[in-house]
Amino acid sequence: MESHGHAHGYRQYFTTWLWLLGMTLLALVVGYFHFLGEGVKAFALVTITLAKIFLIGSIFMHLKAERVNLVMLTFTPLLLSIILFFFTFGETLKNETHQIQNQSPTFHLPTGEVKEH
Amino acid sequence: MESTSLAEQERVVASDWGGGKSPFGTSWSKFMMWIFIISDALTFAGFLIAYGFMRRIAPAWPVQMEVFSPLLITFMTFVLISSSAVMAMAVSAARAGDPKSAVKFLGLTIVGGAIFLGCQAYEWSHFIREGATLTKNPWGVPQFSAAFFVITGFHGFHVFSGLTILTIVALRATMGKYSGDSVENAGLYWHFVDVVWVFVFAFFYLL
Repeated sequence: MESHGHAHGYRQYFTTWLWLLGMTLLALVVGYFHFLGEGVKAFALVTITLAKIFLIGSIFMHLKAERVNLVMLTFTPLLLSIILFFFTFGETLKNETHQIQNQSPTFHLPTGEVKEH
Repeated sequence: MESTSLAEQERVVASDWGGGKSPFGTSWSKFMMWIFIISDALTFAGFLIAYGFMRRIAPAWPVQMEVFSPLLITFMTFVLISSSAVMAMAVSAARAGDPKSAVKFLGLTIVGGAIFLGCQAYEWSHFIREGATLTKNPWGVPQFSAAFFVITGFHGFHVFSGLTILTIVALRATMGKYSGDSVENAGLYWHFVDVVWVFVFAFFYLL
């Protein structure tokens, strides 16, 4: 890294920062305004998040300059956890018996008033 | 990648796995930091996955952006991303043998982290004043405040630990006791805290 001189490094970090801010704003627009369907919105947010993680990991955390061994070591467990998540998440979609039943009809605020929902 | 002879490749592979040096090409401390980050990332993956399940099986879920201030959340994200970028510059400066700039950038990173923690304290107290606890809240979905307190609480504690580590590294650097590795390891941890927040921002607040 030193061979590039650190002024070069700063500039790269600055552009990465701008990209990250841009993607944050994009995620905010996607999340805050409800113009996308639920599925598309989830997909867009996951994509933006992974893109941000990729930038932070490769540039800020220098994985770009590290050996493939280390890169594989960092990403494999996360990929596996995501796969495991999707293996079991389908369970929740159709199975009524998993519904949580402990919702109370009213709620007592600390101020003493009762709120219904 | 320049081409190397087979004999040269074999020599390199043999030296790597023969125990003479790390096959990962890092110092032991940096490697240990990566192992820690991976295990910690799996802890957060566990939290976020559990949150996904709870949310899916909850009969309803509050509109997060009506409960929390989108402006505050965006500002917090902005601050954390900026502090991460400045941290990368601190590592760069430390590696280039420029402790003065390294300390300056570390200081800015610490300020960013402190602002973030302040915002989180404000958000928590606001949420608690509205009647939210670990087990119940006015929106009638107990899992909502439970997920909020556990996930952001754990993340906030990581920010606090990060600030402690960064302060120690910065103080040591002002005394001239620093190495590129020590700053970089602290930096790796700080970027990881940023990575977790990127996930929390997208999946807890926006999704």
